[in-house]
Amino acid sequence: MASTPDIARLYDEHAPAVFAFLENLLRNEADTRDVMQELFIKVARRPAMLKDLRDERGFLLRLAHNLAIDLFRRRGARERQAAQLALEPKPLFAASADADEQVFRDKLAEALGELPADQRAVVHLKLWERLTFEAIAEILEIPPNTAGSRYRYGLDKLRERLRPIYDEIQ
Amino acid sequence: MKTEFEKQLEGQPLRELPREWRSKILAAASGAPRSMPAEWLSSWLWPHPRAWTGLAAAWIVIFLLHLTAPDEAGAARNSSPMRFESFAKMREQTVLMAQLLGSLDDGDPPAAATTAPPKPRSEGPRRQLIG
Repeated sequence: MASTPDIARLYDEHAPAVFAFLENLLRNEADTRDVMQELFIKVARRPAMLKDLRDERGFLLRLAHNLAIDLFRRRGARERQAAQLALEPKPLFAASADADEQVFRDKLAEALGELPADQRAVVHLKLWERLTFEAIAEILEIPPNTAGSRYRYGLDKLRERLRPIYDEIQ
Repeated sequence: MKTEFEKQLEGQPLRELPREWRSKILAAASGAPRSMPAEWLSSWLWPHPRAWTGLAAAWIVIFLLHLTAPDEAGAARNSSPMRFESFAKMREQTVLMAQLLGSLDDGDPPAAATTAPPKPRSEGPRRQLIG
């Protein structure tokens, strides 16, 4: 059975990755916090879920993804859009002292926001979690080939969208 | 093999998790009541919870369909004219039996009892044939 220190350890080891993934997926800090809280409450309530786990982070990311999908379903698309417009979006990336770099990060965050959520999830897990397509497929419960094609489509769109700035930085 | 563009993207550092969330989330998680009675069930079902839920739902649907489907055998039994006929025949037999029993109790031998026992077979003609 997972005790409170186990939950604290899980949080310390994996919460930053779960936070970044959820924030990229949900694009709303309040929703990210709610889903993270729901996730850790769920794990604390059912410590049996943690038994014999090979990959704690993969498990937590999968749970986070499922909870985010549940949230998407609970809310209508219109309500979600209105909520996003009403809130000042928090930056997805850390602030940079370099102005060009900051512009690139802002544009990248925007471009990621324009991707469909399923492509965004794969791109995030591939680029910022550095997972293989097999691992991504397990987390998102999709075939590895689908993960690969979603990544390529997403990356192509990002490249197209960021080409002017990227060339400038290069 | 990663392209320069992919390397450029993955080099962008993501925003840090707000520190103040830790205490709130952990407090909420530690205050959450554990579902002890259902724990064995969840641990048993956990590997494929959706599959188990689907199976259970399928059984419930089958059970409901079975309940709501018309009972064809029962309906046939109820609507069959044979039921009335067999009931009438049984009633006749009961009345006949009652009459027979009643006539025995009164001391009157039944019609079958009044008939004479069969006479021994006459052997005359056979003897004549042999002789």
